[in-house]
Amino acid sequence: MRVLLVDDETDLASALAERLDMRGIEADWVNSGQEALECAAKSHYDLAVLDLKMPKIGGLELKARMQALYPHMKFIFLTGYGSEKDFETVACESGERCYLVKPVEIEDLVRLMRELTKNRGNSQ
Amino acid sequence: MNAGPNRVGQSGLTYFGRTTASISHELKNALAIIKENAGLLDDYLQMADKGLPIDPARFKTVTGRIADQITRADGIIKNLNRFAHSVDEPVKAIDLNEIAALLNVLSQREAAMRQVTLQVCPEGATIPVTTAPYLLLTLLGRCLSICLQYMGSGKTLTVKVTRIPDGGRIEFEALDAARLAAAANFPGENETDLLNAVGAEYHLDGTLGCMAITLSNR
Repeated sequence: MRVLLVDDETDLASALAERLDMRGIEADWVNSGQEALECAAKSHYDLAVLDLKMPKIGGLELKARMQALYPHMKFIFLTGYGSEKDFETVACESGERCYLVKPVEIEDLVRLMRELTKNRGNSQ
Repeated sequence: MNAGPNRVGQSGLTYFGRTTASISHELKNALAIIKENAGLLDDYLQMADKGLPIDPARFKTVTGRIADQITRADGIIKNLNRFAHSVDEPVKAIDLNEIAALLNVLSQREAAMRQVTLQVCPEGATIPVTTAPYLLLTLLGRCLSICLQYMGSGKTLTVKVTRIPDGGRIEFEALDAARLAAAANFPGENETDLLNAVGAEYHLDGTLGCMAITLSNR
């Protein structure tokens, strides 16, 4: 599995990428939506992990743009929102369900990644 | 029924909610970085348990990140505390420089999200004014939000504090301040009520490109 992490907090994205690598998940990271679009144009990713709130291109907009370009790609949102209830309000508006609230448990993230990509071969 | 006081109260609550939500978001980010990097240290130790070598330089980098984020979180909480205490006394003598400094730290994240550089230039000496500090902060926060919302990314918003005879003035220097104010229909009813509540006047200088709030001790 190859994933792209997008978060404007460098020290979060880089640590998360290293921990995912240790768990057999090849992870690249970038700090902005624009960098994510450039990165995705150059490499194949199965899944992207997006921070919900980022300058210029937020997570929801980035997901819409990436999904249009790469329909196979799966998405997980990371949010710093105070409670899951807060995010449900945002999530329901766009139909998104795959999110984790920061700070995340790495094993929860890995589990969600594997769940989202396990049927990928069958659906294509 | 006079809607003014209700509107002032509602404006104050709205600013409180927006600001604390922004602070909590930033605090969450700091905690997430601490947790992830602490987890990374744990991963290194588990590797060591399996006989794999630990790179001391990597270890030091990760512990440095944790220390940095603890310092960041401590700063955020100090600012939150200053913000909380701004409602202690409805009316009091304050230093305008201090209010501007608090506005600066509370608004940096909003500016960053808009990709605007926010810089606050205090006056060298204390500028004492007697006013409602929390409502003044709410009014200034509203001015700043309008500038950030309408000025566009990649620009710099300068907030300048200056002394005037018997009072002080806070200027929001944006190149096209007149357009910003017109676009936002500023000051609207809510802002006018806030201006009255804090005893301030609003000035727009389209030539110089600044919105200004003036407070007098007279």
